[in-house]
Amino acid sequence: MNISSFFSSFFNSYLGMFMAQAFCHSIIAFIVVDRAVYLWSINNPLIRQRFHLIVVLLPVFSFPLYQIINPDRGSISFRLGALFDINRWLTLELWGTIPLGLFFITIIIITTIIFIFQEMLPILKHTVESRRSDIEAEEADDNSVVGQAIENLPVEKPDVFVLDDDDYVLFSTTGKNASVYLSTGIIKKLNAEQLRAAIAHEIAHIMRNKRPLLIVVFLFRMIMFFNLVVLLEFRRLVQEEEKICDDMAVAFTKNPRALSEALKKLYHKNENNSPLQLKKLSEMKDSIEEYSHNVHIENRMHRLESGGSRKTDGEWFKLILTIIVITGINYFVV
Amino acid sequence: MNKKFLGFFYFALTVVILIAALKIANYIPTALQKDTMRRYHSIEDVKSNLNIREILVPYYFPQSFVWPPSEIFAQNKPFTAVVMEFKHARNGDVALIISQADSKNFKTDEKIKMVQIKERISYPLKGRTVALEAGMCKNEEPCSRIAWDEGKYRITVTAKSSPPELLKIAESMIR
Repeated sequence: MNISSFFSSFFNSYLGMFMAQAFCHSIIAFIVVDRAVYLWSINNPLIRQRFHLIVVLLPVFSFPLYQIINPDRGSISFRLGALFDINRWLTLELWGTIPLGLFFITIIIITTIIFIFQEMLPILKHTVESRRSDIEAEEADDNSVVGQAIENLPVEKPDVFVLDDDDYVLFSTTGKNASVYLSTGIIKKLNAEQLRAAIAHEIAHIMRNKRPLLIVVFLFRMIMFFNLVVLLEFRRLVQEEEKICDDMAVAFTKNPRALSEALKKLYHKNENNSPLQLKKLSEMKDSIEEYSHNVHIENRMHRLESGGSRKTDGEWFKLILTIIVITGINYFVV
Repeated sequence: MNKKFLGFFYFALTVVILIAALKIANYIPTALQKDTMRRYHSIEDVKSNLNIREILVPYYFPQSFVWPPSEIFAQNKPFTAVVMEFKHARNGDVALIISQADSKNFKTDEKIKMVQIKERISYPLKGRTVALEAGMCKNEEPCSRIAWDEGKYRITVTAKSSPPELLKIAESMIR
C-alpha cells in the first residue's frame, strides 16, 4: 500500500472522517461565529462566551449526529454533491507523490503535543501538587488591611488567606471551602481600593465556579485534543471568563478604575520585546506568550476604563440563528 | 433599527460568501488532479478517460435489477477504483453495488449497509477464494455481500438479494 492509499483509507475510516470533518466544522464555526460577533457588535463577554462555545462544542457532536441523521453521508454520491469534501484535498498529491494529508496529520500531531504539554500536564501537575502539599497561609482577620478592604463588598465573603511571599500571587480555590489566597507582595503593591477590586474579581471566579461551565466544556474539549481551532478557541473562552469576572467585580465595587489599575500594577509589563527580533526559538516563544498576555491585559484594562459592555440582554435569537447556519452548512461539509 | 437590519444583511452576505468559497475550495483539487473520484456516464467513458483496461461486469444479470448502472463512479487517484450502482426494477432503490478497487480498505456499501451479518463463509469459486456474507440490511431486508481478489483488484458485490443469486452474479463476472 502506498502512502496515498494509506491516507485515503485512514480518512475514509470512521475515526479519520471524524477527525477531518471535526476540523473542517470547527473552522467554519469559527468563521461564522467571528463574523457574527463582529457584525452584531456583541461586546458583552458573557454573550461572547456563548458564541465561542459553539466553536468548541459543535464539532464534538456534529459528525456522529449527521451520520445518525443520514448514514449515506459518507457515500460517494453524497460526497460528490457536497459543498466541500475535505478528502479531495487530503488525497491531493504534491508533485505526484506527497499527499496533502501528510501535512494535516502533522498539524494534528503538533496540536496534540501542544495540548498534552500546555494543557494536560500542567493540570495534572497542579492537581497532584494541590493534593500533596498544604499551603502555608494565615487567615486575614477583619481588622487587617485585607479585611478592611473587603468589608463592604455586597457578596458572601469567602475565607481570605495571606501568603508570606514578595511575588504577586493571587488565586482562588473552589469547592466546600472556597477561599481567596493573596501574597504580602500584592498587599504592599496595591492600595485599599485596588485590593478590594482584585479580591472581588477572585470572588467572582468562586461564584462562577459554583456552576463549573468551563470544566464541563474542557472535558468535551479533550475529545478535540487534535483540533487546532478548538485549542485556540478554548483559550478565547478562558479570556472571556476573565472579562466576565471583571464585570462582576465592577458590579460589586462600582470602581472599574481600581481594577484596571490593579491589573496594570500586577500583570502588565511595559517592556515589549518584538518576538521577531529575538534570535533563539525559546526566547521567541516566551516573548510571543508575554506579548499575547500583555495584549489580553491591555484589552481588559481598556474595557474597564471605557465602561465595559453596555448591552446585557441574551441575544438568544442571534445565537440560535448562528447555530442553525453553522449546522446547516456543516451538514454538507464532509 | 437600520443598524440592526444592516447587521443581519451583512451576516447573510458572509454566509453566502462562505458557501461560495467552500464551493471554489471544493473544485480546486479536481482541477489540479484530473483523475480523482467523479461521476461517469458509461463504462466505456471510464475506460477511455482513466485508461482502465478491464472492468468486470456480470454476464448474468437478474431481471429484478435495472441495466445499465444508475451511477458509475471511478478514480485513478489515490488508487484505481470503479463503483457501479444498479437500481431495483420495482422500487427504484439502489439494490446492487459492484466495486473494483486497487485497495483492500475501499468501502462503498453506505447505500446498502449490512446492519447484521448472520453467516460468513469462504469457499473456492473458479479458482478464487471468495468470502460470502449473508445478513440483514435496514428495514429487515435480506442482503448479502461477496468479495474476492482479481489480480491487483479487490472485487466486492453487495446486493439486496439472497446469497445464491449473488453467487450467480459473481460467477458470471469471473472468466
